[in-house]
Amino acid sequence: MGRILIVEDESHLAEGLRFNLEAEGHEVKVVETGEQAIEEVRRDGFHLMLLDVMLPGIDGFRAAAQLRSEGRFLPILMLTARGRPEDVLQGFEAGADDYLPKPFELKILLARVRSLLRRSQWQQARPPAAGPPAGSRFEFAGKTIDFDRLEITAGGKTMRLTTMEANLLRYLVAREGKVVSRKMILDDVWDVHEDTDTRAIDNFIARLRKYVEDEPSQPKHLQTVRGTGYRFVANPK
Amino acid sequence: MVLSGYPRSTLLIVAAGVVVVLAAVAMNVTWLVLHWRTGLLVILGLIFTALIISGVVLNTLFLAREIRRNEHQNAFLNAVTHELKTPLASIRLYLETLQTRTVDEARRREFQDIMIADCDRLLHTIDQVLRAGQGSAARPRLKGVRVNLPEMVADCLKLAQTRHHLPEGALVFANRLPEDAARTVLGDADELRSAIGNLIDNAIKYSQPRVEVYVEVDAVEDDDLVVRVKDRGIGIPKAELKRIFKRFYRIQEAVTRFKGMGLGLFIVNSVARRHGGRVYAESEGRGQGSTFTLLLPAAPPR
Repeated sequence: MGRILIVEDESHLAEGLRFNLEAEGHEVKVVETGEQAIEEVRRDGFHLMLLDVMLPGIDGFRAAAQLRSEGRFLPILMLTARGRPEDVLQGFEAGADDYLPKPFELKILLARVRSLLRRSQWQQARPPAAGPPAGSRFEFAGKTIDFDRLEITAGGKTMRLTTMEANLLRYLVAREGKVVSRKMILDDVWDVHEDTDTRAIDNFIARLRKYVEDEPSQPKHLQTVRGTGYRFVANPK
Repeated sequence: MVLSGYPRSTLLIVAAGVVVVLAAVAMNVTWLVLHWRTGLLVILGLIFTALIISGVVLNTLFLAREIRRNEHQNAFLNAVTHELKTPLASIRLYLETLQTRTVDEARRREFQDIMIADCDRLLHTIDQVLRAGQGSAARPRLKGVRVNLPEMVADCLKLAQTRHHLPEGALVFANRLPEDAARTVLGDADELRSAIGNLIDNAIKYSQPRVEVYVEVDAVEDDDLVVRVKDRGIGIPKAELKRIFKRFYRIQEAVTRFKGMGLGLFIVNSVARRHGGRVYAESEGRGQGSTFTLLLPAAPPR
């Protein structure tokens, strides 16, 4: 059963959905704005997000696009009163995995939730494309990455990594000294095989640099290889 | 001849001078004539250019207005769609829930209350759209029933308090009518209730989450009754104080933060005008709260 985030400012709908999803055995959290949704997803791994479009502040389209650009690929089911074809298209373009116009049939909604959760579970069940380097800890240049605990310690400070950050870091560390292309990263770490925008990866690298570099603007460990991709170097000369 | 006494050379020089002056005058005149013509052409050209430019400017202005109107209508359609479909979706969701799951008695009652509230919301939306469709024609309606204004305002406040689940004291009512003053207006009770309700609903909506609304009924000279609704909400920029009464018009900042169809104040204004009254807004600007004043002529004594 999954952890589901409901983003809906209409409390009646949100509570009705919560009741039903909890009855199905899911763990549910409800937030009311796009900002809170982005915040929640950044902080915590959810297995699925039910996202309304007409929200106060950042709307559902923009919230989805923002999350995708940060490389967060949790399944998003958009739930909205706007059912015109151009709205549906805009939803998918923003990064939704599925789109259900209101009013919806409860059974259909639950079936789609099940299907999205099943798909993401299959993907998680696949053996990780990049196995951890020997042991789940990796030390370099006075810094320690603990892949099990999702932590990195540098200069006496311990910082938490998200799952995706840790996965990307593990992938790069496992290929220490070798150039890795953005396409490879998308294929192997994110398991995305389309020609998706690779800027998400650049954003991720920028974040990782804050953890592993002393001087993030002048990276020594996480080097950019122009026109190709990135290279991790544990002990740069 | 007088000239004949002058030496030939002098005559020649004078003649030459005269010729030169005549030539200069002729050239000057020609120049003037030519340039007058050019000037005319220039002036004509300027007029045409001005016409073309003003045409283009007008066209752009109309186009911009049309686009803006289109945008407003688009936003309105989206808002109406949302306002109609959301409660429907909710009612359907709860009905299906009751149909497919075993729900204990307390929950069942809670769900029924929610569905009733959603029905009311649907009804309210339909009412608003229909009322706005009646237009803003300023035909004073003298027929109708006598409506006790302070009582109606108190009723509207009570209704708003329950509908918005507000704590005691969030809405304050003051009846400042002198003992002997008229307190009734002549008109359509439903319309008046809708106008007052819209003012109160707006005051609450644009003050969330901290609602402090003060409503008073008062009398002013020339026998007008006044309903004043004061809030400490988001306020209204000076430039928008009049525009907010237009149909579909919504303040840009409010659009992203608050849902609405852009009909409420239009309805208030239409109702006020149909009753021979008027409504206006005051605000010190952004974040300074707003005051809406609804003026209605008092009913003549029986």
